[in-house]
Amino acid sequence: MKNSMDNNFYEARKEMFIQRSNVKSKSLIGLVLSSFLFTLSSGALAHHSFSMFDPDTEMVVTGKVVRWAFNNPHAWLYINVEDDNGEMVEWGFEGGAPPSLVRAGITGRTYVPGDEITVMFSPLVDGRPGGAMCWVLAADGEYKKPADGGCGARDPENISRWEKWMEMGISTSKDPRAER
Amino acid sequence: MLHSRSRLLLACTMGWLVTIPAIAQINGFTGQVLEVVPPDREFATSDEHYQYLLEKANGGTKHTFETLPRWDGLWYTAGNNHMDPFIEGGMRGGKVREGVLTPAYETAYKERWRQLQEEGQVRYDRLTHCEPAGMPRWLLEPYNHEFINLPHESWFINDFANSIRRIYINQEHTNLAEMNGAHSWYGDTIGFWDGDKLITNTKYLMPADFTRWSPMTSNQLELVETWELKEFEDFDRLVVQVTMYDKHAFVKPINFVYAFRRADDLDEIGYRVQHWQCEESSNSYLDENGMTNFYLPGEPGYKDPRGATLFPELPGQTPDPFNDPVLNGE
Repeated sequence: MKNSMDNNFYEARKEMFIQRSNVKSKSLIGLVLSSFLFTLSSGALAHHSFSMFDPDTEMVVTGKVVRWAFNNPHAWLYINVEDDNGEMVEWGFEGGAPPSLVRAGITGRTYVPGDEITVMFSPLVDGRPGGAMCWVLAADGEYKKPADGGCGARDPENISRWEKWMEMGISTSKDPRAER
Repeated sequence: MLHSRSRLLLACTMGWLVTIPAIAQINGFTGQVLEVVPPDREFATSDEHYQYLLEKANGGTKHTFETLPRWDGLWYTAGNNHMDPFIEGGMRGGKVREGVLTPAYETAYKERWRQLQEEGQVRYDRLTHCEPAGMPRWLLEPYNHEFINLPHESWFINDFANSIRRIYINQEHTNLAEMNGAHSWYGDTIGFWDGDKLITNTKYLMPADFTRWSPMTSNQLELVETWELKEFEDFDRLVVQVTMYDKHAFVKPINFVYAFRRADDLDEIGYRVQHWQCEESSNSYLDENGMTNFYLPGEPGYKDPRGATLFPELPGQTPDPFNDPVLNGE
């Protein structure tokens, strides 16, 4: 195994990675509707903090599923990715806990070894081949979000932005061409 | 009037788009602000508080199976104010409120808060090492809860880390510290019913914390909780008013509110609470700098949560029933 990531991506930006955890309700157009605010405290869903990930960087890699560890406390998706030298590197991506993922229709059968998939993720800050996965694009074109915390999976524009970037051959949000 | 699903959708959309300073919620859809309802008066101890409520309820309601409030099904956490007493100014850049914690605990919390603000994490989180959530963290940890009421006991379950609280109804405390020689993660909880409200008193707890971004609590933490299923405009909530007493950590007792809502979506798909893995499947660890990190495949210490057990020579000895090489003819 070797790490093919470019460490330039990981210039230390150790900004606080605390999810916004507190919001207040607000009335809407005079209706009885009180605001349901989805807290952005995904960190609260995790059994550890997320500062090992770089929340300011998004990357994509494409590879074949090695195993889908649909286990508590966090599901992990492992894929083999061919690096620039033609060597296979096994990457690992952390996701949410199964009890949370089943609510999004993600199960232990969602990813099968050998499936070709594309993963968008926030990488580990130390440059090893891993990260917090945000969304996964299957070969049939379906996107799923097995995310926990540490990435932009909740940004409604994220996938459409990345579709454009991937068409341009962009694989990291740090690419100068990656304009939002 | 919007259909309820439309209202929910609209509200969700608002949730994505709007970021508003803090009041009182965390973890999921919360809707209306939860209000802290402090006790009628202040009490020196949780015993005094609990006895006052018991006397006020004339010894409590003696429920039968037929009359017990039923809180069946799966529930999620649905809001709380657990940070409000401790932090002013919000999670990003907020400051530790002074005079709430005792000097030693306030100093410790300021360091914890500094780590969180400057380093992105506290250097130690029990959950990273598969330790139990414990109390009071149980009240706000997410995932799926069950509340099973019986006339003589209630069982409050969180599938996260297999946490079960047992509430012994109309009974006295058993001094677990004496019996077991140590406090425990969930302590000893007694309770009584006041109509449809369940009032509890918890003692003999391990020192713990609310979350990795909250203050520590001591082995003197004691709680008086009032649990009640309440109707709201959007959806019902199981609301928990809590007074926490801690001679070591708190200058005076602190009042909190927590809530749970029904997990109808999980009930609909037939989800069932499972045993929670951690020790055998978690690859997180504290590195030499005290920071949380992960072992990846190929690294010493990595545990394959779908890999072979101690008996790899036998077929079917992996915890992966779907990709069985023998049955798949590989």
